[in-house]
Amino acid sequence: MTAVISPKKEKFIIPIGPQHPALKEPGHFEFAVDGEIVTEATVRLGYVHRGIEKGAEARNWTQNLYLVERICGICSHIHALTYALGVEVLAEVEVPPRAQAIRVLVAELERIHSHLLWFGVAAHEAGFDTLFMYSWRDRETIMDILEALTGNRVNYSANVLGGVKFDISDEQRKVILDGLDFLEKRTHHYLDVATSDGMFLQRTRGIGITRLQDAQRLGIVGPTARASGVMRDVRVDAPYAAYDMFPINIVVETAGDLEARFVVRLKELFESFRLVREILDNLPPGDLQAKRFPRRIKPGEVISRVEAPRGEVFYYIRSNGSDMPERVKVRTPTLCNMASVLSLAVGHHLADMPMLLVGIDPCFSCNDRGVSICSSQGEHGRWTWERLRQFGIDYYANKV
Amino acid sequence: MKIATMFSDIWQSLWQRPVTQKYPFERKEAPDRLRGKLHWNPENCTGCALCNKDCPANAIEVITIDKKEKRFVMRYHLDRCTYCAQCVESCRFSCIELSDKEWELASTHKQPFTVYYGNEDDLNEFMAKFTQPESEPTPQ
Ligand code: SF4
Ligand code: SF4
Repeated sequence: MTAVISPKKEKFIIPIGPQHPALKEPGHFEFAVDGEIVTEATVRLGYVHRGIEKGAEARNWTQNLYLVERICGICSHIHALTYALGVEVLAEVEVPPRAQAIRVLVAELERIHSHLLWFGVAAHEAGFDTLFMYSWRDRETIMDILEALTGNRVNYSANVLGGVKFDISDEQRKVILDGLDFLEKRTHHYLDVATSDGMFLQRTRGIGITRLQDAQRLGIVGPTARASGVMRDVRVDAPYAAYDMFPINIVVETAGDLEARFVVRLKELFESFRLVREILDNLPPGDLQAKRFPRRIKPGEVISRVEAPRGEVFYYIRSNGSDMPERVKVRTPTLCNMASVLSLAVGHHLADMPMLLVGIDPCFSCNDRGVSICSSQGEHGRWTWERLRQFGIDYYANKV
Repeated sequence: MKIATMFSDIWQSLWQRPVTQKYPFERKEAPDRLRGKLHWNPENCTGCALCNKDCPANAIEVITIDKKEKRFVMRYHLDRCTYCAQCVESCRFSCIELSDKEWELASTHKQPFTVYYGNEDDLNEFMAKFTQPESEPTPQ
């Protein structure tokens, strides 16, 4: 007598989120597992959609500068910068070089803060809370610098349309340089920890390997792509603001695993330290703001791209000649990188999922925005508000 | 491959005081550039309302008492303000500044969040016209 055990048809699915899926932001993941190994992964985003793009259509050009700054709490300056650069092209306003240099300076300081923040979060996800605490203690240095320089710890509001709000005094220059010296020493230490600590390496080395072809196929951006050997950085490919005056050296690794992503981000910190010092030593003279900035901007459209700490930020801005934009479309790097998490998840242990997710440095609230409808009937395109509303009513009517 | 790479940090920290500050018992000096509560000086104000228009949070209302005589009052909503300093940039007559001293603005009442600025006479006239008490802001 033999018992026949038929292979199970159903899948065992482990839902993670929407509350607190490893990070303190909402996102819902479903992992189908076979034992400990993930066989399928899906993600559902959109829990923190805030309607910012629609909101931007009801505010004037200046007000929007502060609205887009709130798309992301970590790279707030980058969003304001991308928007300002785009609007300045539309308005045909020349921004003085000193202002552009100060913008880049704040952007690089922000990159330092963002990468250190990520480093701590990633260490926390790996269960290495000592590293998390110490790296965040050191991050306070850069937060204090940013506060002293701009007047706020987050949402610095350093930009105005046509320039920046403040200059850099000698006193501040010294504070920045002292802070950077300390951070540089600490970053050497952290790089050593991230590449030599045996227990930490078990969570990162050889995990989540993304090959160059896959990175290119999936359209991954930012440090995540550079860890797989993709030579892509908007600061180098299409220098904006003052990056033509102060070029950066692109940091790439080829291993493509989580360790490489740590190494790329930490080495980028050294590049940022160097650039900040260079800017402070060679700040071009001149004004801080353009003489005049029009309140109404003539009709036109523009695309503005900037390298945020997480990768390329993309803005499409259209003007119809009024004092408000007709359309502002934003694409943030997390959306580009999310596909890599899903494709990497298959074949890995469930316990590696938080690390894989953290590896792209995700920011959920930045990427929750666009709605593009691709229905199963092959319909594609934009819906009117009326149609969207009707769709919602019908959906819930049919559901009960 | 090493182990316990953070041990030296922990060892050193044993001999140091915690880095966390005991706010509000210990206060760190705020930087000069800190953007705190808004202050308005009506002297040079022309009533152009640019500050009003450019404020991203609709936190400022410039209210005209008498246009010819250039008499204006300002109603400032502390709780809406994002402390971005755009109003300071927008005003061409330097009427507005943000304090670097007043930044502990939390309150358990609503009342302190609506601040009126202006000359005494203008404010009195404005208040006389204004029937509702200030503690009850009209719902938006
Ligand atoms: S600081 Fe910004 S939010 Fe506050 S009143 Fe001025 S413009 Fe408005
Ligand atoms: S921008 Fe200046 S001058 Fe114009 S209304 Fe405001 S405070 Fe008065």
